[in-house]
Amino acid sequence: MLEVSALQKNYQVGKNTYEVLKGISFTVNDGEFVAVMGPSGSGKTTLLNCISRYIPVDAGQIRLGSTDLASLNEKQLAKVRNQKLGFVFQDFLLLDGLTVRQNILLPAIIGETVSERVEEQADHLCSIFGIQHIMHKYPAEISGGEKQRTAVARALINHPLLILADEPTGNLDSKSSRAVIDTFEQARTSLSATIFMVTHDSFAASFCDRVIILRDGVIWKTVVKGGRKRLAFQDELLDTIREMGQ
Amino acid sequence: MKTFTDIYKTLRKKNRGQYALLTGCLFFSVLLISAYLSIMRSPTVLSVLPEGGDSRKQVMMIFVLTAIGCAVFSLYAASLFFRQKSKDLGIFLALGMERQTLAGHLIRELSVIALLSCSAGILLSIPLTKGIWGLFRLFLVDTEEMVLFLDPGAFTIALLFSICVTVILLHMGIRSIRRINIMEIIQERHKSEPIHDVPRSYGIIGILLVIFGAVLGYQAPVFFILGLHWYPPEILTAIFYIPVFIGLYMILLHTVINGWHKKKAVYKDIVATSQMKFQGRQTVRNLLVMSVLIAGAYFASFYTPMISVGALMSYDARPVDYAYHFRMDQQIPMEKEVRELADEYDVTITDWNSAPMIRLGVDGTQHVETETSLGTTWEPVYRELLNSELFLSESSYTALTGETLNLSSGTLAAILDSEGNAGMEFAGNAKLLTNPLSGHTLPVTAVQTVVQNALYGRYVMNDKDYLMMGENLTPEWEEMICLFNVEDCDQTYEFAKTLFYDIVDHSDSKVEVYDAWDPVRKQLSEESGAAYWADPEYLEEYGFEQISYDVRDSSNFRLFWKYMPRFRVLDKADFVKTMAVYLMVFIFVAIVCFAAVFVIAYTRSMTIAINGQQLYDDLRHLGASNDYLYQTIRSQMKRVFCTPAVIGTCIIYAFYAMIMFFNDNKLSVSELAGMAACLLLIACISALFYGVYRMTLRKVCAVLHIR
Repeated sequence: MLEVSALQKNYQVGKNTYEVLKGISFTVNDGEFVAVMGPSGSGKTTLLNCISRYIPVDAGQIRLGSTDLASLNEKQLAKVRNQKLGFVFQDFLLLDGLTVRQNILLPAIIGETVSERVEEQADHLCSIFGIQHIMHKYPAEISGGEKQRTAVARALINHPLLILADEPTGNLDSKSSRAVIDTFEQARTSLSATIFMVTHDSFAASFCDRVIILRDGVIWKTVVKGGRKRLAFQDELLDTIREMGQ
Repeated sequence: MKTFTDIYKTLRKKNRGQYALLTGCLFFSVLLISAYLSIMRSPTVLSVLPEGGDSRKQVMMIFVLTAIGCAVFSLYAASLFFRQKSKDLGIFLALGMERQTLAGHLIRELSVIALLSCSAGILLSIPLTKGIWGLFRLFLVDTEEMVLFLDPGAFTIALLFSICVTVILLHMGIRSIRRINIMEIIQERHKSEPIHDVPRSYGIIGILLVIFGAVLGYQAPVFFILGLHWYPPEILTAIFYIPVFIGLYMILLHTVINGWHKKKAVYKDIVATSQMKFQGRQTVRNLLVMSVLIAGAYFASFYTPMISVGALMSYDARPVDYAYHFRMDQQIPMEKEVRELADEYDVTITDWNSAPMIRLGVDGTQHVETETSLGTTWEPVYRELLNSELFLSESSYTALTGETLNLSSGTLAAILDSEGNAGMEFAGNAKLLTNPLSGHTLPVTAVQTVVQNALYGRYVMNDKDYLMMGENLTPEWEEMICLFNVEDCDQTYEFAKTLFYDIVDHSDSKVEVYDAWDPVRKQLSEESGAAYWADPEYLEEYGFEQISYDVRDSSNFRLFWKYMPRFRVLDKADFVKTMAVYLMVFIFVAIVCFAAVFVIAYTRSMTIAINGQQLYDDLRHLGASNDYLYQTIRSQMKRVFCTPAVIGTCIIYAFYAMIMFFNDNKLSVSELAGMAACLLLIACISALFYGVYRMTLRKVCAVLHIR
């Protein structure tokens, strides 16, 4: 599904160059729910922004299915972002001037694929994620958890190959975080979504199949859930984080 | 909602505040520029402000400042618009919208906004201009000259301004979505432009730079012209004013970032100071534009009090109520006819004096100009016969004034007014006199000066010299000056007006000339085979306005006719009418500039309020009292309003005083009185400014829910 190899990204600040991603390689399989964890400055968000090509990469390959994202031009990239990728951001990034339903439909409207079927799909997503009652409200009128569930629904409207989520629970309380994670779970089980999530939260990460731990721009460790229960997996994640701190 | 156009429409409706701000600012800028241009290019105004004259240059200079101010203001509004819109645009791109498609929507939208606001600005400037001018005519002064004609050509320049603003707007729009890093586009509106450290020395250095730049800018042309004998292009001399703007910027930086208070008080105003710092670059840019506009507005405003006070004081300083002179070949009413006319109007003439004068050629230094690849240069060339001056005999002078001079042969007395002036053309240092008909000459060994407000701009000579030099002169080289006083002068307006009309009616076309017209210069021009520039025929050929008896009440005639009588009551009563167009143009310009300042200050304040909503909520949550919140917002508003007002006013007042001083290296009584009148005007406008500040503060408090 997603294959990242030897990905490099540097930032130039004045005369200094900072290596943020130092040749990262990994894959995400179809239907997998993968998280990336790591301390601040380890390159998590940069990795996500490179995969979506929101920021330019310096070297490496990013393959989504059979497409090499690093080699696409602006027009092709726009199409991939619209049709094959879904995005969930930490601060939701909903359009304040549109209702919840209109926000969910936005990727389809941009892709000019709106039809009755898509509208029904939007309503269906609203009912799956429990936001049907706020469909006609504006973002300013709903809670943070509801905003993020709206963002997840928006990410799914075009049936993307991959959902990229950047700290989706970062701005939420525990109840709302749980609701958003449930949304991802539902997306995975009901809609066979593949999810790649950046998070700080071991609780959120414990729902994933696999967690990639980043440190200083390289993959420090990968922790696989396997057949374990969620709590045991979360304990291992916490141990790993502790170990990394030492 | 199925198409992106629908989305765009919905968002536009939802964010109409942003659109209203941009449209309003563009509209207002174009409206001001167009109104200003329509007045500046109006045939009504052009006919009164002479080409190349100081008044026209001043209006032009203020226009350039206003145009820069309006352009910067429009761009500020546009940058604000794109910052607010950046999140929406970034999300569209993040969700897979093609840049080209988005750019298409943006360009269409911006084009419509620019088209509507600019066209409305240009079109509505016509009723605005006519409306304000009509109010002037209704409440201030109404003369034939005040009928306003507009030149359609003026709107071409306004159109050019609109096109420039539109092109920049479109460029900014495209640039806002062109960045490769989409996250940067999304986060654009959270990006602040703080200014961190500004050395405290910036304040003092800024003040010194302003003073240095002002003196340098004003004195540079003097150096070029007198030192290098070169008339530099105006753009070059303008460059020397650059230190003023750098200094102004440094003063504003220091004011916004450090403030002028002592360091220990820094925590008292920490919220206001931090907020101003947070948007430092925008704030300073805004304050700079406002300071410059305030300076321009005051520069225009000072014209009226300076001219009025100076003129009214000079009327009062005249030692006689009525003075007129005429050429002896004209059949002008003399004592008998004037007394008869006075009887008709029940006016009592208390004393009468008249004396003959002769016009002789005098020597002098001429600036001979040469066109070179570097512009015009000049060389001083001494001419034994350069132009003519009027001469009174010593006995006539004594008869007119009661003063005895005891001039010996070959010496002269140059008559100046009580402020030491004698008119532009009068050099007062003749060394050789020539009878223009016989060519007989008289060397002058010494010239003393005497002060006489009724006769200044003339020479007095020894009686014997007068008789000798006046020999064989024909009446066109001889003049008569008549001076008389009346009882209750202020009540003799009708008599004065009739006598003035009488004098005009009895003057023939030979004396229908400007005061700069000189018979010796004309003679010399004719001898060299060239046309004389002040001749009516020359003026007609080149389309310049002429002196005409048909418009004897016009500003041009009253100010520049060579034989214009000086009747105190007439000059006083008709002063506003005579100067109407001048005064109104400058008042209009001042209104335009001040309006721009008020709108910019209001817009900036509202931006501060809107951007600060979250902060004020947070402060409230931290337990800040209503009083504290009020103090912090008032402190910010004060900086927005007071800083440019104080700085702009001080700079232009000092600059104006400097101009007055360097005119003749002294400040005369009338100039000091004029400057005092300007202070009164500053007080009135400051009160108006305070009113706008209070109104804005109320609005800002309402936005931030501060009681």
